[in-house]
Amino acid sequence: MNDMRVETRSQKIIELLSLGESRDRLLAFEVPKDALTWTRFCGSLLLVLLILLFFSGIFMAFYYSPVPGTAYDSVDFALFKIPFGSVVKGIHHYSWNLLLMVMGIHLGRSLILGSYKAPRQMVWVTGVIILFFVPLFIITGDLLPWDQTGYWSTQVRLSIISSVPFIGKSAARFLLGGSLTGVVALTRFYIFHILLLPGFLVLFLAMHFHFIRHRGLSEPLGTDPVFRPRIPFYPNLVNRWLFLFIIVSVVLAIISRHWTPPLGDPADPTDSSYIPKPEWWVLFLNQLVSVFKGGLAVLGSTLIPAGLAGLLIGLPFMDRSPYRHPAGRWKILLSAAILSGFIIGLSIMGYLEHFVLVKH
Amino acid sequence: MMHVKFTIGLSLCLALFIGALHFSASEAMGASKQELIAAKVKSEPAGLDDAAWETSKGIVVPFEGKEAFAGKHTSVTVKTVYTDDGIFFLYQWKDANQSVTKEAWQYEKGNWIHQKGNEDRISMLFEIDRINNFATKGCAVVCHVPDGATNAREGKFGTSTDAEKGDLWHWKAARSDPAGFADDGWLTIISEKKGGRKSDKGEGGDKKNITDDKSKPKYMIAQGKSLDKNGILLASHAVEITDYSVFKDGDTITYCMPKNFTDSFGDIKAKSRYANGEWTVMLSRKLDTANPDDTAFNIKRKYNFAMALFDNSGDEDSYDSEVITLKFK
Repeated sequence: MNDMRVETRSQKIIELLSLGESRDRLLAFEVPKDALTWTRFCGSLLLVLLILLFFSGIFMAFYYSPVPGTAYDSVDFALFKIPFGSVVKGIHHYSWNLLLMVMGIHLGRSLILGSYKAPRQMVWVTGVIILFFVPLFIITGDLLPWDQTGYWSTQVRLSIISSVPFIGKSAARFLLGGSLTGVVALTRFYIFHILLLPGFLVLFLAMHFHFIRHRGLSEPLGTDPVFRPRIPFYPNLVNRWLFLFIIVSVVLAIISRHWTPPLGDPADPTDSSYIPKPEWWVLFLNQLVSVFKGGLAVLGSTLIPAGLAGLLIGLPFMDRSPYRHPAGRWKILLSAAILSGFIIGLSIMGYLEHFVLVKH
Repeated sequence: MMHVKFTIGLSLCLALFIGALHFSASEAMGASKQELIAAKVKSEPAGLDDAAWETSKGIVVPFEGKEAFAGKHTSVTVKTVYTDDGIFFLYQWKDANQSVTKEAWQYEKGNWIHQKGNEDRISMLFEIDRINNFATKGCAVVCHVPDGATNAREGKFGTSTDAEKGDLWHWKAARSDPAGFADDGWLTIISEKKGGRKSDKGEGGDKKNITDDKSKPKYMIAQGKSLDKNGILLASHAVEITDYSVFKDGDTITYCMPKNFTDSFGDIKAKSRYANGEWTVMLSRKLDTANPDDTAFNIKRKYNFAMALFDNSGDEDSYDSEVITLKFK
C-alpha cells in the first residue's frame, strides 16, 4: 500500500517536471553485460574521479581568494583550519594523480584491444582530447595556492610555452596578462581552472559519451557480437558507479587523512634560488626540454610533444585494418611499446636527475 | 566471478596508486633548506639525557656571525620530539665560556660595581600569522632593519604589517633559565614610535636589583633560600639588604633577578646544563597553548623558523641561522 502511494507521488513529480519520456528512455536503455567486467573498470573509475574532482573543487573554491597576497593564506586556512579541509583538498589532489594514471591504463587497454578502430574512432579521439585536458587543469591549478612550488613551476612552464615558435610568446603573454606573474595571471589561471576548462571538459565528455552511446562499447575479443547479453543501464550500471564512488571516496579520504596534501612555502618571486622539481607526470617532457638545447630546443619543447599528440589522435585513421586481436597488430603494438619505453626511459632519467642525483 | 574480477581490478589500481603516492605527496622542493623532523614519542622527555631524544634525527644548523661576530661561524645541533600535546626541543652547542654574568654586582674596596659580561642566549622565531617572505628569507625580513630606516626608531625587530605575527622563544642563561623558563614573546608591526617586539601576556623576565640611587644592589639572598645552579639570585628568593657591612671585597650579587613566569609568558619551560665547554638546553611547550600570542602547532602542517645565538653578547651581536622547516613525523 505504502509502495503504491510512493509510486504515485513520484509519478506526479515526474509528470510535473515533464520527465516521463526521459524516465522511460532511461529505464529502457540497455548496455552490454560486459560493461560490468573489471576490464571496463577504468572508464567507470575515471568518471567517479572526475565527479570527485568537481565536488572537492567546489568546496575549495568557497574558501579560495585569487589574489597573490591572500591566495596562500586562504588555501592554508581551508587545508588546516576547516574541519576535514585536508581530507577534501587531499581528495582533490590525489584524485588528479589517480586520474592521470588510470587514464594511462584506460588508453593502454584501448590501444592493446584495438578499441579505437572503426566505428569507434571518435570515441578514441574525444578520449585523447580529454586526456590532454588534464595537464591543463594541473598547470592552471598548480599556481592557485601561490606557493613556491606552484609559482616557480609556472615560471618554468611559461618559459617552455614562450619557446614555442610563432605563438609561444603571445600565448604566455595572454596567460599572464602582462610580463609578470601577478594578480592578473592568477585571476586568469583561476578562471581557466574553474570555468573555461571544466566547460570544455564537460563538452568533450558529453561528446565521448555520445559516441559511446551511438557506436557502442567495443566487443570483448573472441566474443560473438550478435549474442552479446545486455543488462539495464539503470539500475545495474548506475548502482555499480555509485558503489565505486563510495569506495573511492572512502579510500581517498583515508589516504588524505594520513598523508596531508602538500602545500609548499608561500611564493617569493624574489627568491631566484628556488629550483622546482618536476612532478612525476611531466618528468619525460621536462627531460625532453633538458636534452635538446640551443637551436634544437624547439624539438623538445614543441615538435616531439606535438608529434606524439598527433600520433595519438590520428591513430584510428592511420591503423585502418579491421583486425583487433593483438597478435595480428604486432607492428602497431611494437611501435607503441617503443614509444612507451622512450617515455618511461626519459621519466626515469628525469627522476634520477631531479630526485636521486640532486646536488645541493 | 564478476565480483572477484572487479575486486581484483580495483585492488590493482589502488596498489598502483599507492605505489606512486610518494611522488605526488612529496613536495617538490628545490632550494636546499634544512628540515627538522619532529619525532612522535609516547611520553615527554624528562630531561636532557632522556632516551626519547634518540628517536629524533637531529640536524646541525650552521650559524653565521653578525655585527661583532661578523665573519665567524658556529653551529647548533637541534633535535625535536612531540607528544599528543607537547613539543620539545633540544639544543647543543660548543661555547668555551659559560656566560651568566649579566652585569652582576661586585663589591670592591667599598664600592659596588657592575661586572663586565653579558649572558649566553638562544632564540627561535616561528610564524603565528604568515610573515611575508619569512619562509625564504628568515629573520632577515624582521630583524636588522637598516640604521636610519623610518621604522627603526625604537628597536630593530618587527613585521611590516599588522597581519604578520611572529612567535619568539628566547632562552637566556642568566635571566630566564634559572627560573626554569624561556621568555615567550611575539612580534608584530614595527612603527615610527614603537618596536614590534612584545612580551606575551603574564609576568616574567627579570627584576633589576638596584637601589633607587642606582649605586648598589637592593636585594640579597633570603635566609634559608639558595642560589640557582649558576649562582643566580631569583627574585622570589631575594630580601632587601638591611646591612651592607656584611659584604666583603669580591662578593657578587645578581643584577638581573629572574622573576616567576606566569600565564602565556611562562608557556616555554627550560632545562639546561653547561659542561665540558658545551651548552645543552631543552625547551618545551604545549603544541597549542590556546593563547593568541603563540604559534598553535598542527602536526599535519609544517612550520618555518629561524634561530639566533648570542655568545655573551647584546642584541645585535649574534650568530644567525638560515630559515629551517619543522615537520612532524
